[in-house]
Amino acid sequence: MAKSQQKARDFTVQYSEPVGILAAQSVGEPGTQMILRSFHFAGIESAIATSGLPRIVELVDAKKKPTTPLSTVYLEGAASKDIEQAEKIAKKINEVRMDSLIRRSVENFSKGTIKILLSKQELESEGLTPGQVSDKLAKLLKLDTSVEKNVITVKVHTKNLKDIRLTMVKISKAVINGIEGAGKAVVQTNPKTGEIYIVSAGSNIEGIITVSGIDKSRLYTNDVFAINRLFGIEAARNALARELQATLDEQKISVDFRHLLLIADAMTSTGTIKGVGRHGISGEKNSVFARAAYEETVKHLINAASFGETDHMRGVTENILVGKQIPIGTGSVKLAIKKEDMAKIKPK
Amino acid sequence: MQAEVIDNVKFGIVSPEVVKKLSVVKLNVPDTYNEDGYPIDGGLLDQRLGVIDPGLICKTCGARAKTCPGHFGHIELVRPVIHSEFSKIVYMLLQSTCSACHRILLGNEDVQSLREKSKGIVALEAEELSSEEIAEHKAGETDQKKHAGRSLLKKVRSIKKCPHCSAIQNKIKFSSPTYFYIGDRKLKPDEIRDALAGISNDDLRILGIDPDVSRPEWLVLDALLVPPVNVRPSITLESGERSEDDLTHKLVDIMRINQRLAQNINAGAPQIIIDDLWELLQYHVTAYFNNETSGIPPARHRSGRALKTIAQRLKGKEGRFRYNLSGKRVNYSARTVISVDPYLDIDEVGVPFEIASKLTVPFYVTAWNLEKARELLARTEYPTILNLTSTDGKRKRIIDANREELLKELKAGDILERQLVNGDMVLFNRQPSLHRVSIMAHRVRVLPGKTFRINFCVTPPYNADFDGDEMNLHVPQTLEAQAEAKYLLEVKYQVFSPRDGEAIITNNEDGITGMYFLTQDDTRLTKEEATYILGIAGIYELPAPTKDGTYKGKDIFSLLLPKGLSLDIKTSLGPLRIVDGKLIEGVITKDTYGKGNNKLLLKIGMDYGEDALKDFLFTSSKLSDAYVTFSGITVGVKEYMTDNAIEKARQELLEATFKQVDDKIQQYKARKLESLIGYTKRASLERMIIVDLNIAREKAGEVLIKHVSSKNSAMQMARAGSRGSIFQYEQMSMFLGQQATLSGGRIKRGYYTKRVLPHINPGDVRPSARGFVRTNYYTGLSPIDIFMHAVGSRGSEVYKALLTARSGYLYRRLSNALQDLYVESDLSVRDTGNNLIQTIYGGDGISSINTQFMKLAAKADK
Repeated sequence: MAKSQQKARDFTVQYSEPVGILAAQSVGEPGTQMILRSFHFAGIESAIATSGLPRIVELVDAKKKPTTPLSTVYLEGAASKDIEQAEKIAKKINEVRMDSLIRRSVENFSKGTIKILLSKQELESEGLTPGQVSDKLAKLLKLDTSVEKNVITVKVHTKNLKDIRLTMVKISKAVINGIEGAGKAVVQTNPKTGEIYIVSAGSNIEGIITVSGIDKSRLYTNDVFAINRLFGIEAARNALARELQATLDEQKISVDFRHLLLIADAMTSTGTIKGVGRHGISGEKNSVFARAAYEETVKHLINAASFGETDHMRGVTENILVGKQIPIGTGSVKLAIKKEDMAKIKPK
Repeated sequence: MQAEVIDNVKFGIVSPEVVKKLSVVKLNVPDTYNEDGYPIDGGLLDQRLGVIDPGLICKTCGARAKTCPGHFGHIELVRPVIHSEFSKIVYMLLQSTCSACHRILLGNEDVQSLREKSKGIVALEAEELSSEEIAEHKAGETDQKKHAGRSLLKKVRSIKKCPHCSAIQNKIKFSSPTYFYIGDRKLKPDEIRDALAGISNDDLRILGIDPDVSRPEWLVLDALLVPPVNVRPSITLESGERSEDDLTHKLVDIMRINQRLAQNINAGAPQIIIDDLWELLQYHVTAYFNNETSGIPPARHRSGRALKTIAQRLKGKEGRFRYNLSGKRVNYSARTVISVDPYLDIDEVGVPFEIASKLTVPFYVTAWNLEKARELLARTEYPTILNLTSTDGKRKRIIDANREELLKELKAGDILERQLVNGDMVLFNRQPSLHRVSIMAHRVRVLPGKTFRINFCVTPPYNADFDGDEMNLHVPQTLEAQAEAKYLLEVKYQVFSPRDGEAIITNNEDGITGMYFLTQDDTRLTKEEATYILGIAGIYELPAPTKDGTYKGKDIFSLLLPKGLSLDIKTSLGPLRIVDGKLIEGVITKDTYGKGNNKLLLKIGMDYGEDALKDFLFTSSKLSDAYVTFSGITVGVKEYMTDNAIEKARQELLEATFKQVDDKIQQYKARKLESLIGYTKRASLERMIIVDLNIAREKAGEVLIKHVSSKNSAMQMARAGSRGSIFQYEQMSMFLGQQATLSGGRIKRGYYTKRVLPHINPGDVRPSARGFVRTNYYTGLSPIDIFMHAVGSRGSEVYKALLTARSGYLYRRLSNALQDLYVESDLSVRDTGNNLIQTIYGGDGISSINTQFMKLAAKADK
């Protein structure tokens, strides 16, 4: 047996080690050390993503959508080396919404038309022509559109003010190109490996995965709920731990991955992502006392009384409350001695 | 040590019968004391409710204030009221049952299927399982049933016609806190009680309610239980005036209204007046339970302070649960200021004599140690016995007068309380106790003086310094606790942090500087010097001298290393090579001697054990301190003086950076700037400027390294990693750099024209207009820079306060959610409800404290 394997045996965790508390302390203690997310410039990605304590809070709270969703899209085959092909794929992903193209719009309520002046610059940078935009609008919203230079005219066929207004709202929200919810997609190059990939400022990986030419097996986003929907809970668990690690790494705080995995596992062990707060793990504990001692004391006591709940005194908090030993660590074992052995011990 | 064990706690509602059984007296006088200052019979401080004044005797149990547990009384309400805290449950039940036949608003089929689901327990009992196994199933199942029932409650509300008696259901409206309406007609509490009483036990079980302990009609109160006086003690002020507890005040209110209501009913007053009084009674009862109920004005004291009623006593950080039940207070503890003593071992604590003579350790007298016990008890001076608890449980204080007598009576089974002596294991703690190494076990060393003293190496886990910090000391009182302290909490087992397995108990600051100086290539000591510092460290041998009779610093350092230790690593100052316990190449810095991923300490800890590691830390810290005292190090203003070369480099760097930024601004104005992902054009420019300024700061460090002499003390400390960094040097001698705001951006607000100061043009985004400080502490800041720096300082102060609050709450939530997880004997992680969280801890079962060991071992294997 190799030396390291022998050693590894001595390195295993001890029975009844309170690993949950260790994990909580390992993340909680350095919380105060997290620095103001001052001017770090590790890369374009980290530049826009929320980081530091706010990001940790967001992750452990199981917030439905991250404040700054980001997706990383790797490319298949030659595209990962060829910037032009990559650009083409990025174009397919890049979400272009109508409101970003509009420079000015005028609703004519007497005629029942809307005139939209498109921004030349924006059109150019997105590689679209006014004609394409108009066609897309007609197809998407089933509108009667016509184009003249940079102006799209939409005939609404009604003079109802409300309808015209609503149509305008729909138009400005329409996705002209790319994938809805994918955000702005930009081609990036890994400075170390030279690999070309795409980063988009959205987390609709369910949409992005339908684009051909991308490496589906490496598709990633910082939105753990999106990962749960597309790849399942195990993937979400991994992503959660990975996101926590990335956030701590960026703050140069070293925390063993085991702690982060445990937090992720505790949050996902039921098959859905639960936050750690009163609406998640802590709020769903079996013990009435544990819930009451945490938050919303009165509410939990009242509910327990109404339904006739029983507290089986198995957890940590409950036992502390009544002054018993906690059932974890050294409190989980008992020392016993046989009666006949007891008799053997006699003073000289 | 547990006399009686609470196995489980069942929650329920107090029924009227229970109220009558519990109550020792029916209260009917809405007052407390009579003119003579004597408690009124039938009043709220009736002596049958228990006594709190010393000397008085309880009329119920005959005990005195200290032993009387207190007894409940009750008030009979002339008209029933609803328990406001439960009105949501009442509402749910009213909605989900028929108003005519009171059956649950579900067809027989639905009911049947639900019944099947909740039948489990009976079926199990038939299968001849042991009672324990059934209990196990029940525990899990009540939970399931509870959820099934609760979700059903929601579903049933939309049903309009009763499937049993076909009665049409009128919509019931609920208005917080206690009003129920059918249409416009208000439901009286007695009507509600009738409706709730009509629900059958079977139907309640379907809804997840256990009717044995919780019949809903009990929520409509006829009799109000009055807590004993012990719960609401009155206090006598210095003036002799009595001041009653908030609860007593509220109960007086309830009784007054109750009495008035009774009088009005008897006098045959009009219905409107009776209803008004009834409502008022309801209000007082509501406020009595929870004075913060939404929808009612809080009852107030004469002074305007809101009364603290039952809910307020339980709730929140200062409530019964978090303050008294989760937070325990202890005896056998001490607290004082801490200070350093480098000659104490790292696992020792210096305890002032005054404290050591007050604190005690139990000495359990047995047949085997009777002699020793007598010897101790006979002593009249420290260390002696302070108290004796004999087998009959009586505790006596030992004084010279009774010593002789007690000596004669001393027998096995007695417990003596011995004063603290050298070598006792005690727990030492500094708040905030953020991680487990905030409490460690130390060996006592009784010393003169008034402060606790610790070795400098153990300050990092406590995060302590000596600018007035105080720490707490606890003496474990049972043999189990003493054993746990010794074998689990002792300092030598905590050198590596469970957070990442890296060293946390290490030498630091000047201790590292000393090693850095000692292990320089050209460090030579004469025989006198070498013996002097080695003597201080307690090493009484000399390494082999060099040809000219001097001793190399590296060789002296090597004396500290265990025999046979070999290490070959890279540090920030080049390679470090130790062969067979001798430092051959390299300099000791923070990388090998300080906090963090410290391979030298890891190696000693892994291969030679915690005792060798403890010895190394203690001996080396003494040696290091001795050498740094001997060689000396001074940091003065002199270190930060700049010469022309540095000044020129600084100017050039700033000019180049500003030009770069100006170029970007020009590009932006010409609309040629490429925007960054997720940013608008303007924000992209901002971002790019920040990046440029940041690069300038990095470059400033390089300039300093190039120009400043390597003998500069501040530089040396930065290089050794003992104190200070290049960044701080930059602030002294180059420039302060960009000042940040709370949101992490550059400073931009101030005047409404979007400029920071009036002499900046609106819209100016150049570095100097947005809080980039070009000057340094040595030459002094320019007036504008001072202003910008003040803005930045204030921002970071505010941010710090914000961050501690936020991270404190995050920590509380995390520890609350994860505290029940532990490792089972098969290395799986479970919670105390036996739910499986991980099949094997961390994927490999390796303890987090050993991860760095693991890496080192794996490396050695290759």
